[in-house]
Amino acid sequence: MKETAHKPLNGKKLALRILLYVVVFLICLLILYPYFAMFCTSLKDRSEIFSASGTVVPKNALWSNFADIWSRAPMAKYMMNSILIAGGSTIIALLCGIPAAYALSRMKFKGDIAFLGFVIVSQMFAPVVLLIGIYKVMMTLNLTNSILGLIFINAAFNQAFTIWLLRGTFMGISSEMEQAAKIDGCNRFEAMIKILLPVAAPGIVTTLIFVFINAWNEYTVALTLISDDLNKPLTVGINIFNGYNMIEWQYLFSASLFAIAPVVVLFAIIEKNLVSGLASGGVKG
Amino acid sequence: MKKIIQKIEPYIWILPSVLLMFVFILIPIVFVFRMALSKVSRAGLIKGFTGFANFSKILSTPTFSMVLKNTLVWTVAVVGLSTLLGFILALLLNNAFKGRKVARAIVVFPWATTLVVQASIWKFIIDTDYGTLNTLLMRLGIIDHAVNWTPSAGAWFAWEIACGIFVTIPFVTFTVLSGLQSIDGSYYEAATVDGANYWQQLFKITIPLVSSSLTVSTVLNIIYVFNSFPIIWNMTKGDPGNRTDTLVTYLYKLAFYNGKQGEAAAVSVIGFMILLVCATVYMVATLRKGDE
Repeated sequence: MKETAHKPLNGKKLALRILLYVVVFLICLLILYPYFAMFCTSLKDRSEIFSASGTVVPKNALWSNFADIWSRAPMAKYMMNSILIAGGSTIIALLCGIPAAYALSRMKFKGDIAFLGFVIVSQMFAPVVLLIGIYKVMMTLNLTNSILGLIFINAAFNQAFTIWLLRGTFMGISSEMEQAAKIDGCNRFEAMIKILLPVAAPGIVTTLIFVFINAWNEYTVALTLISDDLNKPLTVGINIFNGYNMIEWQYLFSASLFAIAPVVVLFAIIEKNLVSGLASGGVKG
Repeated sequence: MKKIIQKIEPYIWILPSVLLMFVFILIPIVFVFRMALSKVSRAGLIKGFTGFANFSKILSTPTFSMVLKNTLVWTVAVVGLSTLLGFILALLLNNAFKGRKVARAIVVFPWATTLVVQASIWKFIIDTDYGTLNTLLMRLGIIDHAVNWTPSAGAWFAWEIACGIFVTIPFVTFTVLSGLQSIDGSYYEAATVDGANYWQQLFKITIPLVSSSLTVSTVLNIIYVFNSFPIIWNMTKGDPGNRTDTLVTYLYKLAFYNGKQGEAAAVSVIGFMILLVCATVYMVATLRKGDE
């Protein structure tokens, strides 16, 4: 369990160390394999994919597939929609979540435990089980087939962990500085903006990236609510290449790479903060 | 006057969040319950109270018991195996070794990838005619002709479970890692001095101390896996003949393909009831953890 690198290794320890490297290496290979297969396929010609004697690596890389998808499907529109949905959801989730988390960490009020309880329990209601109800609400508000509708849904379903994570962050920060600021004539709101939020920035950034990733990756609600092709986000839109009769794997996968690359990078950036964030529980994409 | 403002101030702070969740979570919940107890037209119009007619209609079909069994198998298999494998992976990654940072970044990949893409890749990899799994195994000389990896509905379901495990492991691994890193190293030093071997340390120190992290990840995973839609939808759409359906894909088809929204709502409510038990356990566990 403990670090042993500084001590001289005896035979058994050395063997274990080699075994560790081999096992971790094989696991990483297995995890990367689907991405490798996807990347290779995205560079193949259609006939090469369906040929009887299949290839692992493309015979000659067809980089034009990556260019073709932009003309064969409204990829730019999908991309823009994904950015709008993920960005909008993140802004609304934080605008609503920050004051709520602030109240839960800095004030005592009747019903605070009940509110926190509802926040936690709301994680149980995945949008998919509520789709029929959501659809009805969206029809009433005239928000079916609208990007704004998806923004609100994603923001609402991400409130739980936004509040939970931020409440944990705020509670870990002493309120002394804010009280000093209040004596100097700041009101609560100013004290939060000027004193608390800058200190809480790392926790806020982690939360922000997480909501962004969740909203970017959302599929089920968008699939149900959006009927107009030009309003679809990437997760739903790329399936234009996944038809009932014919699947254009090379295009599906080159489009998929565009859909996953931004969030994989974002995720890798916050990977370190994930561990501390997860310690408080309640974070899941 | 000032006192009143002070009294209502916290509620103003939580108001935006409450409004957001009220409109987009609570009202849909109310709608689902109302529809479950009502006669609903194909177009989704509510036409009067029918009591438990939707429930008895659903519960009397043999399809529903099969779907319920599938849901149970799906949830238990995915959560159980990914918890076990994710835990082992966390133990491996908790060692100090060269390249650990890279390995951890790679492990995050399946978690960051949207499920619908993940499902498409696996569907492609295991395809009998042109899948890369067959190509790869033939190249390596392990098999000499293409194997049909999905000869039956059961085989499809097994692959869907495998895909589910693949994407769920990282969450378990990182939750457990967070628990492992908060363990004070002096416990192990003391245990080593006392002559405890690796397994004794694992079962007497590590597992008890990460059990709260494991509880959080397990309960959250039960909820998320139970509700997971994209993998099954993308690979089989619950077919053939509902044999790979879980509750959520089944209710989706009832509501949006077959125009039976009342019955779909009843399935939703049954799903809630099952999850409510899990969520209650989770809430109690989390609030207790928060008080510590």
